[in-house]
Amino acid sequence: MAFPLAAALLLAAMLATAPALAADVKGEIDIPTPYVPSTSVAVDEMLRVADVRPDDLVVDLGSGDGRIVIAAARDYGARGLGIEIDPDLVKKSTENARLAGVADRVAFREGDVLKADFAAATVVTLYLLPQLVEKLKPRLLAQLAPGSRIVAHDFGFKDWTPDRTVNISKNYYLYVVPARVAGKWRLEAELPGGARSYDFELAQANQRVRGGARVAGGYLPAFEAKLAGDRIAFVLVENDTSHYFEGRVNGAEITGTVRSGPGRERATTRWRATRVTGVPDEG
Amino acid sequence: MRADTRTLPSLLLAAALAATGLPAGAQQSNFTTPYVPTPQVTVDEMLRLAEVNDKDFVIDLGSGDGRLVITAAQKFGARGLGMDIDANLVAESEENARLAGVADRVKFAQQDFFKADISQATVITMYLLPSVNMLLRPVLLGLKPGTRIVSHDFDLGDWPPDRKTTVRKNTFLWIVPAQVAGRWRMKLPLPPIERLLDLELTQRHQEVSGRARLNGVPTQIWEFTLAGDRVSFVVVDATDRENEASLYFTGRVVGDVMEGELTRGVGATRSVMRWRAVKDGT
Repeated sequence: MAFPLAAALLLAAMLATAPALAADVKGEIDIPTPYVPSTSVAVDEMLRVADVRPDDLVVDLGSGDGRIVIAAARDYGARGLGIEIDPDLVKKSTENARLAGVADRVAFREGDVLKADFAAATVVTLYLLPQLVEKLKPRLLAQLAPGSRIVAHDFGFKDWTPDRTVNISKNYYLYVVPARVAGKWRLEAELPGGARSYDFELAQANQRVRGGARVAGGYLPAFEAKLAGDRIAFVLVENDTSHYFEGRVNGAEITGTVRSGPGRERATTRWRATRVTGVPDEG
Repeated sequence: MRADTRTLPSLLLAAALAATGLPAGAQQSNFTTPYVPTPQVTVDEMLRLAEVNDKDFVIDLGSGDGRLVITAAQKFGARGLGMDIDANLVAESEENARLAGVADRVKFAQQDFFKADISQATVITMYLLPSVNMLLRPVLLGLKPGTRIVSHDFDLGDWPPDRKTTVRKNTFLWIVPAQVAGRWRMKLPLPPIERLLDLELTQRHQEVSGRARLNGVPTQIWEFTLAGDRVSFVVVDATDRENEASLYFTGRVVGDVMEGELTRGVGATRSVMRWRAVKDGT
């Protein structure tokens, strides 16, 4: 990858001119993220890609002058929280929010994004350098609920394929926090041909899942397995009929509907899976 | 299309398949493609992938015993036409359609589909050899924009599928793209001044790229998508530095006119209006 070098060079140029720096911690010689405000088109695009709604809590990590959080409240009716290490920028953000008339729906906190608690966020926006983005990844996965959206501007996660990439002047990466589904499940379905019970197993790397069901004398691979937040879908083929499973993961339980058969012959029934054991994530 | 250019490789492959005892139904004689029935699960998946419904007219190229066309009629409410070069299979298909109670909605014709008119189809289905797919490609690209093509197992070379699913076997969906290559002009009634937007588009199948000029200033076109006759793309409007915003276009192409809806900006500050572009020189 070429961009760390390019980014470092760019940084060196910026460091020479930009005094306001959000310092990284731990005493390592890490490159701090300089304060580079997003353009208004970039702010628009991050919030559009995240599909922000009024019931969202948008947390901007490294919130600068507060423009993303303020736009989320002003343009989408969402609530917002900005976390920024520079106290002067925090003050400026609070003042900007007051001027924009959204002071009641947003807050700004002085703090280190690597120590911050943002577990209540439904949307997290990032415009940080690659090293800091990488360091944040385990914290984001540990704190955020499945289905939460992360939008990164310019720099995304190294080993996590975005759920969506948008290129409008710059790159925007959308990641939907996946539910943890890896492990063994007991799957019970009331299929049109009768009740079925399978030993169902899933392996997972971020939102990529694969697996299948064990049946007496065979194995049914889960085709077209997809995971988006807490929504899971896959297809099991048995007795020359395709069964399209869709469900919602809620901790140790998945519940949903199965559509069996083609076109007008399609029958819809219910299914449920309960966790038997978990296995560690692949990545 | 010359028949002799395609029979040789197909015959060789058919002979090879027959020599290995695979597949059971393969017959050599004078067939372009050996007769290998598509499993019912795959027939179902092809029709689901194409979202076949009661408004569709499905043409199956190499219809074998008629199962795809019959399933389209019986389970998806469509009308259908199956073409096969084997007269015995055509007779068998007609009998199967009668037994399935869909004889009034489907037809079978003993025909070389390279010589047939398939322009009335809204959905084309096929399970043919790769070489035959490639010979068919120019014909398929000439179908009405929006026509869906579903193939089982084999793709269409460097025309990428719009969707692909794997349920036991690979199934591919293509949507015949409209022709958008060329120069287009439009006037946008954006305050405070009307903008003139010129597009210069190049196209390879459904993949479109190009350049734009907004009031004469070169700018880029982002995120262009083309699905049948539906287009969408984004141009960043930086005419007023203090009020930059993206212009999100969605619309339809009909011949030399492209028109639809345009959204400037996002969220509560966005504004929506109509747009209409005309191909240059028309």
